[in-house]
Amino acid sequence: MNLASIAVKNTRRNLFRTVLTVVGVAVAMLAFLLLRTVLSSWTAGVEYSAKDRVATRHKVTFVMWLPKRYVDDVRAMDGVKAASWFNWFGGHIVGKEDQFFANIATDPKSFFDVYDEVALPADQKQHWLEDRRGAIVGSALARQFGWKVGDKVTLEGTIYPGLWEFNIDGVYTATRKSIDQSSFFFNWEYMNEGAPAPAKEQIGWIITKVPNPAQAAGLTKRIDQLFDVRDIQTLSMSERALNTSFLGMISTLLKAMEIVSVVILLIMMLILGNTIAMGVRERTHEYGVLRAIGFMPKHVSSFVLGEATCIGLFGGVAGVALAVPLINQGVGRFMEENFSGFFPYFRVATSDALIALGLSVVLALVAATIPAYQASKLHVVDALRRVG
Amino acid sequence: MNDVSATPSSEAAKSSGRAPSTLIRLSKVGKSYYRGKEAIEVLKDLDLDMAEGAFEALMGPSGSGKSTLLNLIAGLDNATSGSIQISGAELSRMSEGERAKWRSQNVGFIFQTYNLMPVLTAAENVELPLLLTPLASSERKKRALTALRVVGLEDRSGHRPDQLSGGQQQRVAIARAIVTDPKIIVADEPTGDLDRNSADQILELLVKLNKELNKTIVMVTHDPAAAERASIVRRLDKGQLT
Repeated sequence: MNLASIAVKNTRRNLFRTVLTVVGVAVAMLAFLLLRTVLSSWTAGVEYSAKDRVATRHKVTFVMWLPKRYVDDVRAMDGVKAASWFNWFGGHIVGKEDQFFANIATDPKSFFDVYDEVALPADQKQHWLEDRRGAIVGSALARQFGWKVGDKVTLEGTIYPGLWEFNIDGVYTATRKSIDQSSFFFNWEYMNEGAPAPAKEQIGWIITKVPNPAQAAGLTKRIDQLFDVRDIQTLSMSERALNTSFLGMISTLLKAMEIVSVVILLIMMLILGNTIAMGVRERTHEYGVLRAIGFMPKHVSSFVLGEATCIGLFGGVAGVALAVPLINQGVGRFMEENFSGFFPYFRVATSDALIALGLSVVLALVAATIPAYQASKLHVVDALRRVG
Repeated sequence: MNDVSATPSSEAAKSSGRAPSTLIRLSKVGKSYYRGKEAIEVLKDLDLDMAEGAFEALMGPSGSGKSTLLNLIAGLDNATSGSIQISGAELSRMSEGERAKWRSQNVGFIFQTYNLMPVLTAAENVELPLLLTPLASSERKKRALTALRVVGLEDRSGHRPDQLSGGQQQRVAIARAIVTDPKIIVADEPTGDLDRNSADQILELLVKLNKELNKTIVMVTHDPAAAERASIVRRLDKGQLT
């Protein structure tokens, strides 16, 4: 027996209350981990960005267009392996306006040169290259809408008004996580034909592939220098920076989620603090007895802090043990299969699990600090007089 | 700890006919409490000598100051004035920490409501004060069992307080009080929560500790039957010995 083992045994003093507190901490940790996983999954696209690709967009904002002829200028530059172009179409399925998915016009011929991680059966690829109204969809998106090769899909354009009919020529998967599997890519020529006059021969952004990731930074500068003297200037950046700038649009939402996760921790701390304070109040007389038989104030505060640490740790372990299978096997699978555009990899990160465990202990200690201090400051005679 | 069943030195002193020396000496001790700005004088210029190996009972009406006096003798509280010497040590000059250490080495406590930790077994409760010593775990356990044997509860060492009767719990508390082999045992209404039969057993045990182990016992009690077991009965009224 030692002071630590007594602290552990003390958690059994009021087992029902301890269990309720541990469950409270566990649920708080589950909620915290769920939010952290949403945040890390949302930013995972940035983490998985290819290092050998450079994105070029309008210098002012990515909603403004670039002339399509810029693609040929970029292709002619030294150190460029391949280049392709893209337009954000912004369409939706009629009657399903609330079901967002990325639909992007591109050049099928050069698309596979820059996105070599896209896997598509050869016959489907050939079909798409030859089909002006053709589209390929990610496997997650196909699953979400129940699409299969040969289906016809009509999208209503917002940036490019009208109803646009597409043929599903292929369902792609990815060999790396640098491209999500919930996008809808279609032939740019088809969009360009039907686009209103100001939008013709205009593109949203250029993706350039370099032979060596080390050359990417140098190329971004050279591309921008090339177009500095033109009527429309560009801003080039790594694919990671581009994805980060897209995330910037929802940064407020991400911030709000971070704040909520902190609030959850604060609530957890209050639950713990309340439990510990009740325990200290009930055991005032007992602390008086301990002090009488020679225990010092530091011993009494150690009992309180030790007990709080145990409860925090039990709750943290229970929370992580609950969260990992629930998120990885349940919620995570659902999110990856149905919302892979937002959540390409929805799993609890080991670092987040360790942070949750650490926080459960640290916050328990913080919550117990005031009760521990008060217990250590009790006057022996006053404490012995206190009953219950 | 010395083996609690061993015969201490003052038993030898008794058998050799030597007069027991003064263990506790209080000179002009006063104790006041403040209720707001009003000072309430609980003990007034109290002089008192207690011999080593004595069994003394303190009696008096509620509010007479007997528990306050017991707290001062036990080093739980500081006197407002005067001097308290125990075995030559001046308690009033000690800091809070020094008094805590002194208590752990010199005083055993027995309370009216036993005050055992409910999550610990009888043996663990008895072992508790030994955690403050540098003794190894095995030695602590051995001494706790020895103390339980003295109070006749060795066979209940693995029981938790809620598995013991009131009398048995008080005997465990007595084992806890003697496990560090203190010179003094202070008992505050040790039989107050017990039936007559259990109370008699506890009092017999205290007499045994006093006679056989030469423990100096200071007991506060309202119970005349309990006071009868003491060798000296002192009465307090309004903060003074009568």
